[in-house]
Amino acid sequence: MSNKLDLRDVQGSLLKAYGRYGFPKSRYVFYRVNDGSQARKLITALLPLITNSAVWKGPEQIPDSTLNIAFTYEGLKQLGVPEKSLHSFPPEFSMGMKARRDIVGDVGVNAPACWDPIWNTDGLVQPVHMILWINGRLVERDGQQVNTVDAGYQRLCELVAKHSAGVEQLSGHVGDEGDDPSYQDGSAIYVNGMPTAKEHFGYTDGISEPYFDGCGSHSSRVIGGGKPTGGDPKTKAGWAPLATGEFVLGHRDEAGEYPAAPIPSVFAKNGTFMVYRKLHQNVATFQAYVERMSAAIPGEHAAEILSAKFVGRWKNGAPLATYPTKESADQFAAELNQARLEAKQPGAGKAAQERYEKLRLELVAFDFRDDIDGSRCPLGAHIRRVNPRGSLEFGKTGAFNTPGALINRRRIIRRGLPYGEVRDRSSDQGNHGVIIVALNASIERQFEFVQQQWINYGNDFKLGNDQDPILGNRSVNESGNDRMTIQADPRGKQPPVLCGDMPTFVETRGGDYFFVPSLTALRMMGDGIVDPT
Amino acid sequence: MPNIAGNAYGLTTLCPIKNGGPPHRLDEDGATLPDNRSFGAILRDRLEDLPCDERSPMARVPNTYLCRFFVLDDLIYQGKPAEEDHLKSKYLVFTSNFHGDLETYLHGMWEHAADAVRRIWEHCVAFDRVTDAGSFVDYIKKCQVETTFYFMGSTDVSLAEQLKGLYLKQEFSKFAFANQGKSAAELQAAFAEFAARTRPDNVQGPTWRPGASQLKDAVVEGP
Amino acid sequence: MSNIAGKSYAMNTISPLPWHKALVLKLLFFIARFRTTSFNGLLTLSLIHYARWAILRPGDFPHLDPSQPKEDLKYHYEFFFSNFNGSWDQYVDSFSSAIPGGLDLFWRGNVKYPKSVPFRPFHNYITFNQYWTSHYYNAYPMAASNDVKSAEHLRKELVDFTRKVEGASPEAFKEQYDQLLLSLQYDLSTMAPTPVVSLAAAAIDGRERPDAAC
Repeated sequence: MSNKLDLRDVQGSLLKAYGRYGFPKSRYVFYRVNDGSQARKLITALLPLITNSAVWKGPEQIPDSTLNIAFTYEGLKQLGVPEKSLHSFPPEFSMGMKARRDIVGDVGVNAPACWDPIWNTDGLVQPVHMILWINGRLVERDGQQVNTVDAGYQRLCELVAKHSAGVEQLSGHVGDEGDDPSYQDGSAIYVNGMPTAKEHFGYTDGISEPYFDGCGSHSSRVIGGGKPTGGDPKTKAGWAPLATGEFVLGHRDEAGEYPAAPIPSVFAKNGTFMVYRKLHQNVATFQAYVERMSAAIPGEHAAEILSAKFVGRWKNGAPLATYPTKESADQFAAELNQARLEAKQPGAGKAAQERYEKLRLELVAFDFRDDIDGSRCPLGAHIRRVNPRGSLEFGKTGAFNTPGALINRRRIIRRGLPYGEVRDRSSDQGNHGVIIVALNASIERQFEFVQQQWINYGNDFKLGNDQDPILGNRSVNESGNDRMTIQADPRGKQPPVLCGDMPTFVETRGGDYFFVPSLTALRMMGDGIVDPT
Repeated sequence: MPNIAGNAYGLTTLCPIKNGGPPHRLDEDGATLPDNRSFGAILRDRLEDLPCDERSPMARVPNTYLCRFFVLDDLIYQGKPAEEDHLKSKYLVFTSNFHGDLETYLHGMWEHAADAVRRIWEHCVAFDRVTDAGSFVDYIKKCQVETTFYFMGSTDVSLAEQLKGLYLKQEFSKFAFANQGKSAAELQAAFAEFAARTRPDNVQGPTWRPGASQLKDAVVEGP
Repeated sequence: MSNIAGKSYAMNTISPLPWHKALVLKLLFFIARFRTTSFNGLLTLSLIHYARWAILRPGDFPHLDPSQPKEDLKYHYEFFFSNFNGSWDQYVDSFSSAIPGGLDLFWRGNVKYPKSVPFRPFHNYITFNQYWTSHYYNAYPMAASNDVKSAEHLRKELVDFTRKVEGASPEAFKEQYDQLLLSLQYDLSTMAPTPVVSLAAAAIDGRERPDAAC
């Protein structure tokens, strides 16, 4: 049953959340292929530098920076992948994100006309053929703060220069003054010199991560990260690993088969699909809206309560489903923080580690089955939409043959980091937001479904055309779907809180769909020997 | 009665289409052109030409929740070792989900959409015997096949009630969001105005137009 | 040609099964009608407005006139017509993982029916036996089945409320109104046209109604 992935064949981003290994910095570099044969040589030359998923057994094994690579459909074509293989790719991938804009909701302020110049080009076929991305960290060297991404990038540029006839680095990323438009940087947000898990609205991000068979994470991470079994969500019995094939091609998926993948199978196996999206955050609009609407929340801490209701977590990460009051959430966060500090002390005992791990699990060890009425976490809250955790049975235990039937095939691995700085919180201008790097076996069934049906629509939650309060695109709004109902306790006397006239808080700035090949497939591409015959 | 779920009725009909086709077709200038289409193809073209949503002739037929038409031209061969079956006639498949009883519904269909009915069914076997509502009802009943199982996942109230509900859901939601935080007296006054405008207990109107596909012209005042 | 009318999708399949298996299937459907739990999964999915299954013997094909040749068929045929929200491609996964047992019952005994799990053979089977709709009419293109049900709840509550608050003092009115909002707190989302279900359908819509295209 248990699947053993060839970790040396799978690219590193898929299994490793680089952020967890102390890589709070990233750089995304995009290329056009001008000459297939030269570009193939470049790929072969890059191969030894590509980070795989093999476990880092100690700090000495962790590199200064990582490097990964992926291709658009046009890129594969330019690199000489045969037509028969190309035609065996799923249509959403061959079309690319721009051509899928009506499905994804990239209309109105999200439309390609508003994207960064690198993505906002004439026609539906974008010039981006290849992405290389580097993750790194800030280290002290000779009294200087050094971003290791720079050295990784330098090395990449030198290699690319040797094959300059093959590929051309594309410029056109919009940044703040001083930012180089020839790449996109990402970075964790630093507070007091330390990287945090915050995004620009102030929420803690990246808490929930799918746990799948063969992913190599510690087995306790199945709690909250796996698929529900119907058991207690606070224990391992409540969860089971998702099937590998939900995230890695060539392996059994949740439907009991291999996911749709290109041929030859050796070319697809251990690869995956990736969505790269740059999302701008309207920080001022968001803050102003929360402040304005918090008048509708009775009692103290109205703005904090409202912010938490939008997302389903307090800004410190504590889930509303478990910590419905600010006091309980604050107390939990303080305990968690204390436990983390104690666990990180040199010579911290096993007990301290376990205590921290136990508290950390509280962030994810929950579902919504005991909050079906939404009086703690609203039905339309962000985390309840993107991972409905048992809520879609609407309290009818056993209605579906599979617990989590409607969720297990819609999970997504999210990598990516915030970008830019908020220099003026009273303005939406400036360049700051989040780089979404989403990995899944089927862009259509996973990313696009979640984006369309769960973020920009609400029927699965019985919420009509309501959208995700944070990510919904309300700029092409037919009256009414710019609202969120914050449910009250149905047994109480308080009415629900109604948030209307919601502006769009997050706007697309570009991106595309990529195929992330295995190391084997990269080697075949480099050698020009992919043959589906 | 397996055709029924509560007050919802599932009508399933297979109406045989004449084999062959017309010898000639007159174009607008009165010139005679050969029509190379079969009766089945003509019927299909007419179905495809029907306007959609609120402009569909079926929008005029009282109590129609959802209905569909297509031409069943033959059965699908499942491949060896399955046996191969072929139909000797093509069939117009017309199925409808509606509120109420069959005869009332079909009378309503004839009364409000006889022109479309005549055009759609023109080339069906024995349709030339249909001259009025009564003969149309008889005809459809002869084409009806029994439903083995009818599943209702929605409501079985009258279409007028459904549409009024949708109208009110839309309007009351707007009202509730717009009036949050008002004083008791302001709220009461605003609601009185709302109730006078939307007339919650009058299912005739204001309400949503049957088949309304866009919000901007969805509301009708009613009679 | 469209299986789509607003938020609803018209699924039509016609598939053969041997006569003795048709009898068993009819019996199973008959039993299902009297077991309220049979359709728990389908009701909880709440994606369907109305659906039907009709199992026909060769002699059940209407014969209206001596000029019409009589059908001579080797199999019985199961007709399935459904009106559900979202497209088949989008929601086939949900059906297949939520109610695989139910789906296997509905097509039990059909020639070459592959079972609903794994998903791809099932998806292929349905698509293979599917007939495309030429005209599909939906009385409420902007409403999903959930919306229709919610709207009915709201309408009844609102009519009761309007009667109940006649002549009430502002304070009493406000108290009743807050109660009304609480009882309607799952019914306050609004409707708009469907999200683009498929790019092909959106393109057809754009050609036919350029004014309506966004």
